[in-house]
This record gives sequence, C-alpha cells and structure tokens, in this order.
Amino acid sequence: MGLGVAELRQAAWYPVASSDDLPFRHVYHGQLLGQELAIWRADDGYVNVWENRCLHRGVRLSIGINDGAELKCQYHGWRYANRTAGCTYIPAHPADAPARRITNRTYPVKERFGLVWAALSADAPEMDVGETGFALRPMPVNALPEMVLSALVAGRVEGEPVAALPPLGAALVLNGAPGRATYFVQPVDSARAVIRGVVEAEPDLETLMAFNAVLSSLRDEVEAAARAIELPEPIVPRYEPVSVELATMPDLVIGRQATVRVMVKRRWQAALDVTGIELAPLSGHLPTFQPGAHIDLHLPNGLVRQYSITNGPGELTSYTIAVKREVESRGGSVAIAETLREGDVLAVSEPRNNFPLRRDAVRTTFIAGGIGLTPLLSMARALQRQGLAFDFHAFARSEDHLPLGPELKALGGGVSRHFGLGPPETAEQIRRVLGPHSFARHVYICGPGPMLELARGIAAELGWPDEAVHYEYFKNTHEIDTSSSFTVELARSALSLSVPAGRSILEVMRDNGIAAPSSCEQGACGTCLTRVLEGEIDHQDVYLNGTEKAAGNVMMTCVSRAKSARLVLDI
Amino acid sequence: MVTLYDFELSANCYAVRLMLSILGVQYETVSVDIYPGSDNRSEWFSKLNPEGTLPVLVDDGFIISDANPCLIHLAGKYDATDRWNPIQDWLVYPLMLGWSDFARRLTASAGGARTGVAFGWDADLPALQAEAHRLLRQLDEHLWFGEKQGRDWLVEGEHPTIADIAVFPDVVLSEEGGVSRQDYPAIRRWLDRVRRIPGFVVMSGVFPAAPARA
Repeated sequence: MGLGVAELRQAAWYPVASSDDLPFRHVYHGQLLGQELAIWRADDGYVNVWENRCLHRGVRLSIGINDGAELKCQYHGWRYANRTAGCTYIPAHPADAPARRITNRTYPVKERFGLVWAALSADAPEMDVGETGFALRPMPVNALPEMVLSALVAGRVEGEPVAALPPLGAALVLNGAPGRATYFVQPVDSARAVIRGVVEAEPDLETLMAFNAVLSSLRDEVEAAARAIELPEPIVPRYEPVSVELATMPDLVIGRQATVRVMVKRRWQAALDVTGIELAPLSGHLPTFQPGAHIDLHLPNGLVRQYSITNGPGELTSYTIAVKREVESRGGSVAIAETLREGDVLAVSEPRNNFPLRRDAVRTTFIAGGIGLTPLLSMARALQRQGLAFDFHAFARSEDHLPLGPELKALGGGVSRHFGLGPPETAEQIRRVLGPHSFARHVYICGPGPMLELARGIAAELGWPDEAVHYEYFKNTHEIDTSSSFTVELARSALSLSVPAGRSILEVMRDNGIAAPSSCEQGACGTCLTRVLEGEIDHQDVYLNGTEKAAGNVMMTCVSRAKSARLVLDI
Repeated sequence: MVTLYDFELSANCYAVRLMLSILGVQYETVSVDIYPGSDNRSEWFSKLNPEGTLPVLVDDGFIISDANPCLIHLAGKYDATDRWNPIQDWLVYPLMLGWSDFARRLTASAGGARTGVAFGWDADLPALQAEAHRLLRQLDEHLWFGEKQGRDWLVEGEHPTIADIAVFPDVVLSEEGGVSRQDYPAIRRWLDRVRRIPGFVVMSGVFPAAPARA
C-alpha cells in the first residue's frame, strides 16, 4: 500500500489550498498530516500558513478575523502580525506591549501552480512544479492518501503518458476526463485526503464540471473501498513544545544589542532636514514590532541612536524611520544625513516598545511636533486599520518641514496640520484639540521638549489624569545632577554596591557584573526601568509621569539616583 | 406590532431574527425556553402553535409558524423591492424554493446532530452527521461553481434571497453538532458573504466576518 505516515511526514511540500481559496480578508481552514492550519492572505499578497491555534486559549484561528495586516482571534482579541505571527496586542492588557516572544507557529509556504503549498519542516527540498496553473475544484476524499493516489493512477487512460510527481502526485489523463491534468494528493490525515488537480489555464465551465464529475465518481469508488477496510487512527497532531528560546526568560542583555542586520534599501528627503530611511532585512522578514516601538540603530561611526518605526501593522518587509538632522548633533543625525547610502548594511536592535498604544479608547488624540510624529504615525496606522476613532494633529514650522507628509495624508480625515505657530497659538490649538477630559479618551504626545511640557501642562489644567496622557521625549534635556553618593542593594542578586558621585547606578552595576538592559542612557526611552523596593528615589528622567514618580516604586537606573542613603532594587 | 416567540439557541429562530434585523423590522421577543424548560410543550404555547415548534411570529395578530413561512412573510411584507423573495422571477423562484427545502433537510440532519450534542436529545449522531456531510458536499459544489460563474448566492442574481437566510444557520452552527466544514471551502466563503450582509446579527456560536472590500 505504498507510503506510511512516517514517510509521508518526511520533509516535503504539499498543496494545502488553491490560490483562489484565499479571497480578500478570508481565513481558510486547512490541514496537513493531522496538523490543522489557518491559512490567510494579507492585503500585501503574502500568504500565511499558521498552526490553527491561538496561543492564549487554543481557539482555532481559522474562525478569526483577517483584517488585511493582522489576524485577530475571535475569543479574546489577541492580534498576530502578517508574516511573523508575532502577537501585537492583548486587549486584556491594553496598557502593555505584549512580550516579543509570544509568536504563533508558522510553516514554510509557497504559492505556485495555482496552489498554496506548505511543508511541516523547514528543510523540505525544492519542488518541481510549474509557476502558473489553474486549480480544479478540490475533491476531499475520506480514504488513505496513498489509496487515493493508487486510484488516480489506476483510473488513467492506458497509453497516455504518466509522470509521477513524488511524494503524492501524478500527471495523467483520467478515464472520462476532458483532458490531461496534474493531480496532487494532499495528505490531510491518515485516512483523509484532498485531490488537487491543476490544468494549464482556466478552462470553460463545461470542462471544469466534467473534471469535477470524473473526480466525484473516483472519490465515491475510493471511499467505498476505504469503508471496506479498517482505517488507521487519525494522526495525533504534534503541538511542538515552544522552543527553549521562546519558553524561557530571555537572558538579560548588557547594554544595547545589535542583533538584526539590515540594508538601507532607500533613503530620501522626507522633509527639510529630515532623511527618510527604509531598512530591509538581508533575507526573510524583520521581527514583529508594535506601534510606538523603536529600534537602536548602530551607525558606522560607532554611535547608537534610537528611532521610532513608522510602519503600519503587519508591514515587516522593511522598517521605515525618519531622521532629523539636528543642529546640535552629537554625530548621529549628521552621520546619517551625510554618509549613509543606499545599500549600506547596518545593525539594529530588535524593536522595543516603551510607548505602547492602548486600543480601548473611545477616541485617541495624537499631538505631534515635527519629527515627533514618527511613533504616532505607526500608532495612527494601527488604529486606522482597526477602524478606531482618532484625530491627529501635526505641528511643524512649515509644510516643507513636515516629515512624511504623504504618509500622513493617507491617514485620511482625522489629520489636521498646523504650520508656523508660535508658542501662544500652539497652546491655543492644543487646548482646543484636547478639551476637558472625558471617559476613555487618551492622548499621545511626541515632539520637542518645550512643546511636550506645554502639552502636558495644558492636559493637566484641563483635568486629564496622568494615565490618559502618554508621551515620549526624544531626549532628556534636564541637566543630570550626579553629585549624590549612596548605596544600592540588589535584592535578588544579594549584592550591595556603593554609587559614588559622578557615576550612574547602571554603570556601577555593570562594573560589578550585573547585566541590565538599556538603550538611550539619558532617561528618555524607558528601557532600564527597574522596580524599587525601598528607599527614596531622586527621579531625573523624563520617561515616568508625575503619578509614577510619586508612587516611588520604579526608576530609571541610567540617570535617576537616591535621595535616601540607601535604595533597594528588585534586581 | 411584531412579536417573535424565540429560543436563543434555535437555528430556525436565528434565521428569523436575521431576516428581521436585515430588513430593519422593529420587533419584540417572547423567550420560549425549549431546553431545559420544555415551554414549547406548555398549554399556553400549544394555543399559538399546536405543533410545539419555534419560531412563531405574530404580526398584527397574524400568526405564522416555522422559519420558512416566517421568512416569506417578512420578505413579502417588509421588502418593497421583492429581492429577498423574488416571486415574480419564474426562473429563479423555483430554484429558491428548492434551496428552502434543502434547508429543511439540513435542519433534520446537521440541526439534529447539534441539538443531540448540545441538549442530549435522542439522536443517531453518526447517521445525522453523515447525512449532513452528504448535503454539505452538494452545497459546496454548487457554491464553488457559482463562484466561477460570478454567482455569490444560492440562486442567480446580485442579491441574496430568503433561501440564503434559511440555509445559513444550520450550516454556520454545524460544528456544534460535530460536522466540520474543513472540507467545504466554498461554503466557508459563502458564510463570510452572508455575514457581511448589512444588518447581519450574530448569535451564540456565530462570529462576525472581516469587512468586505470597501
């Protein structure tokens, strides 16, 4: 009886759907060798083949919502990104960025010969089929896959050539069929299969019906034969354990990691003094990001700078960032503006999100100053995709100074642009767009320091609570007072360190072999956020809001210090 | 004044709720607890419908029982365009009646398997499931060739008919009776299309589809 399940399992490509099975915003329910699959085409044309199981509660993703860029589980709304299947949003935790490691299982996929192909293992050898073809109506058969193949071969017209297409295919002319076709048997399960016939080009309706009639009677014969034998048990689906890398806590990284290599695919003038840069992976796609996330960009001159990803959801073939040439550049923005060329290879960190977007607001307001629109653009694109209400206010010196104008315009009617306003007019506009706070409204602000202070001040005056006002500074412009000296106790590490004047907690910890992540190292980005168990904190960062600072249970170890003689950290 | 005697988990009641919602008809419901209450066997209900079946629609004192008569009544009275029940179109109308009959056979098989599983009612599950699969194979074939001819619905025409509404509930709920739709991709796409009809409402076990191309 030919191949057993073990051999079938050998790495090979099998068709799992017709290309026509994946219309706009549909999720196809497939199966291969016992593994259920959720198969969906994103609006960018990419076909995703995923394990049919939400990582949260195991609900089938094939009943989920394909929104064109992400797949949303029907049960509790977890969202997974096109291409990577990385989780981008968990509605039950609206204020938090999901861990990067929450990633569904994906399978290798190809679209060829009118069919969608998948393999259960990454080392399936290249397949030998044509590029284009037209898939006949698929014919599910409740019988052993090898029985189905035997029946196809037995049902051929003698004398016509037969071309075997291992592991489970043959090109032949079936008795009664209107012509030659290539037939692949999709091994759905141990005793279930689908015959997927392909012809060169779309035939007329009569021909399609004739093929269908021949395959239907072949199915009836094979099923009658299968009913007469004892069928094997269904294949027990393998839920691969999550890889060690994903299942364990990540190693604490020391400082800034440059783990992803990217190429400058395109650079262009995105506004006066602003360079737009599109960074593409050297192969495959880039890691999942969430709106608001930034990457560390490692420049050829050794400098490391943070830039927000501006992309919309599910766009993982490149990251687009925008870099403003700073008058008082410390070398980063000048290096980019003057030396970076298309084709250059750079290293970036994986995306990190310390500026997460809530999606449970009744209305979200974005206030962007100049280049500060970059993270907010990504956020607004996510809300736009989900059909959630937002208004976007972009402030700039002039239209020529407004970065990414075309991208902003694509956000539609919610965008207002404000040019050349002085501080009083800016304040008036901000006051107008915020208005008094009402239930479930949230504002996200990003821009130059003075404008941020202004907007935060106005929001506070208008009664907006701290938890509704979200912001990200480019940098910390406050002068850091490092004159204090104190002791830090690291509760988990059972270590006591003394921090002298002139040195940061982060530096002293590193000197003593304590690994701690960091990014901007000036108290703006939030990466080194650390829980404080005891002691009075001397906050000097611009990441935490007033309420968080007053609560006194977290701090930024890169700039903040102690007012008390002793601090106990949860490290 | 329209009143629907309704049981939330009934596929046939759902068909009528769907039609009411799609046509924008204001109505009230009276809940009839079929399971576990057996209210449909009560004296007061048997005065409305001696058969003891749901749904029952009372429209200005006019009493209509069972899904298909209810759908015909609603389409006739509330759809001025006659698109839902194209009674004038002698090519299409008989085909539509054929699919309405198909819906009854689905209720007997897929629907019977579902209530067998859900309420523990007496049912020969393997036989009902096999019959449901036999019917779904026909439906999938019909819809697949429909797509190739540019036909989105059960019968010809740009617009769905009451046949689509009559067939939809037992199909969309079939998996609750152990009847998987994995082998019926054209049915799954048609389910998406029905769920995108303006005014569509869900019920327990039925989820909305992603919006269509704008």
